[in-house]
Amino acid sequence: MNKIMNMKDAISKHVKSGDFLFIGGYIARTPMAAIHEIIRQGLKELTITRSNAADDFDLMIGAGVVKRFISTFLSLGLYGLGRCYRRSLEKGIPHKIEVEEYTNLSLPMMLMAGSMGMPFVAVKDMLGSDLLKVRSFMGENKYKMIASPFDGSPTLLVPALNPDVAIIHVQQADEEGNAQIWGIGGDCKVGANASKKVIITCERIVSREVIGKDPSRTIVPGFKVAAVVEEPFGAHPGYTPGFYDVDFSFGYLYQQASNTVEGFQAFLQEWVLGIEDRTAYLDHYVKRFGYAAFKKLNAKFDYSYPVSYAY
Amino acid sequence: MIKEYIKPELMACCGAREIKNGDVVIVGTGFPTMSANIAKHTHAPEAMLMQESGVIDADPKRPALSVGDPCLNPGAAMIGGLVEIMGMTLQAGRVDVGFLSGSQVDKYGNINTTVIGDYHSPKSRLPGSGGANPIGSLAKRTLIIALHDKRRLAERVDFITTPGYIDGPGTREKCGLPPNTGPAVIITNKAVLGFDPETKEAYLQTYHPDCSIEEIKANTPWDLKVSRQVCPTAPPTAEELRVIREVLDPFRMIAIYEKRGYI
Repeated sequence: MNKIMNMKDAISKHVKSGDFLFIGGYIARTPMAAIHEIIRQGLKELTITRSNAADDFDLMIGAGVVKRFISTFLSLGLYGLGRCYRRSLEKGIPHKIEVEEYTNLSLPMMLMAGSMGMPFVAVKDMLGSDLLKVRSFMGENKYKMIASPFDGSPTLLVPALNPDVAIIHVQQADEEGNAQIWGIGGDCKVGANASKKVIITCERIVSREVIGKDPSRTIVPGFKVAAVVEEPFGAHPGYTPGFYDVDFSFGYLYQQASNTVEGFQAFLQEWVLGIEDRTAYLDHYVKRFGYAAFKKLNAKFDYSYPVSYAY
Repeated sequence: MIKEYIKPELMACCGAREIKNGDVVIVGTGFPTMSANIAKHTHAPEAMLMQESGVIDADPKRPALSVGDPCLNPGAAMIGGLVEIMGMTLQAGRVDVGFLSGSQVDKYGNINTTVIGDYHSPKSRLPGSGGANPIGSLAKRTLIIALHDKRRLAERVDFITTPGYIDGPGTREKCGLPPNTGPAVIITNKAVLGFDPETKEAYLQTYHPDCSIEEIKANTPWDLKVSRQVCPTAPPTAEELRVIREVLDPFRMIAIYEKRGYI
């Protein structure tokens, strides 16, 4: 089935206010174009999750679309603490989000459990830390301590997660949604497969035949996918291996802008609300910083050796 | 007078010396990467480095600015994701050394990267655990990098994001953390602190050549015990400096740590 549609349709058709979203990425392959569209469509009260959140989650929090965050971490990396995240939790601007905190081990394990239909999973971290002393909207179901039924040892259980929708950005997919990545994975594969619906955004649409030439790269099979959106440069200012590098200057621009509420609002207007779609975003980028700056982000080519699946 | 080395270089070397040949090491960016690579280029060529994002044995052609940096991709031995590293490697008990830094570190090596002040109405909200809690919980030896002053070091952290020895001897085991894990040293800009095997409290092991024991004690918020074998930290060797400056960091990016107070 051909599931290709534009970003506007993919978001309006498959994401609604109040949904629980897994949003993939790890600086690598952040679905930033989809996030901009979510903000533009004025969705509200979303619950969002992923390990190691960055500028994309900060932007959503600042834009006021988030109610709850199942988190492990949020920072702007090289550029320090997430400004909107801090303002939300310290000052309630634009409102105080609810945060349920896990770690980069337990959260991926919870998504993995969700992807396999398991009800919960045992993890070995968080013990003895204050992460077990704070509970937010998940309440008693944040975790349970039990005596292992096998040897009686104290065992920490955390619940499986099954988000309503996963949005991930990949290098290539076919029209049905068979989605392929290469490079750093983060928790993308488990997060996508744990979710009830998957939206794939990709650098390029390829044929089913191309997918079949190297099917080991596929992380989500097409039958689980609801929509496929071709969105070149869709992860900017993050990167996509083989397509473009991290835009460090833009990261600095966001940090500087988000230092103040006014600066953040101006950024939001300039790069998200006042922009029609990703094509207009790219136009604006080139107008603002020049074609050379855009060109400089483009990845060099260093192809891997082709592999043979023949028998 | 031209300084022979800068403090971040000395600290990176202190970290490197804690790594043994053949160790499996989870690294972050900055100091940890630098330390692990110094070790790999000197006394520990068989050390195996990995990033929590999913990369094993990367061969970056520029210093990685995050654990998700694209330069970690080409040349790696294996790339998976968080489940492969945090689950199949760390939780499986295969990691020897983890490197962590903290906004606040206490005398039992507990680390706070969650919040300064009250959790529910924070004075300053920090990023959260990320990979720190599992690394500090499950790596056999955790190396902690911290600034040495009474704000960054604490008698007790405001929030235990990552457990050190928690409340002292036996607490880790009682909480169910695996045996023979926990912090090995705190490397600061003034000293290297070890952990007393009996009390699990951090004590002064070596002091950096430009610092005095008195100065270090005055900048430590608990009654810092001093090792009977206390001595100055060995300065970087010529070989260590050569590796840092010629191989790992020709653009001297490590100097940014001086601006962050590592002097």
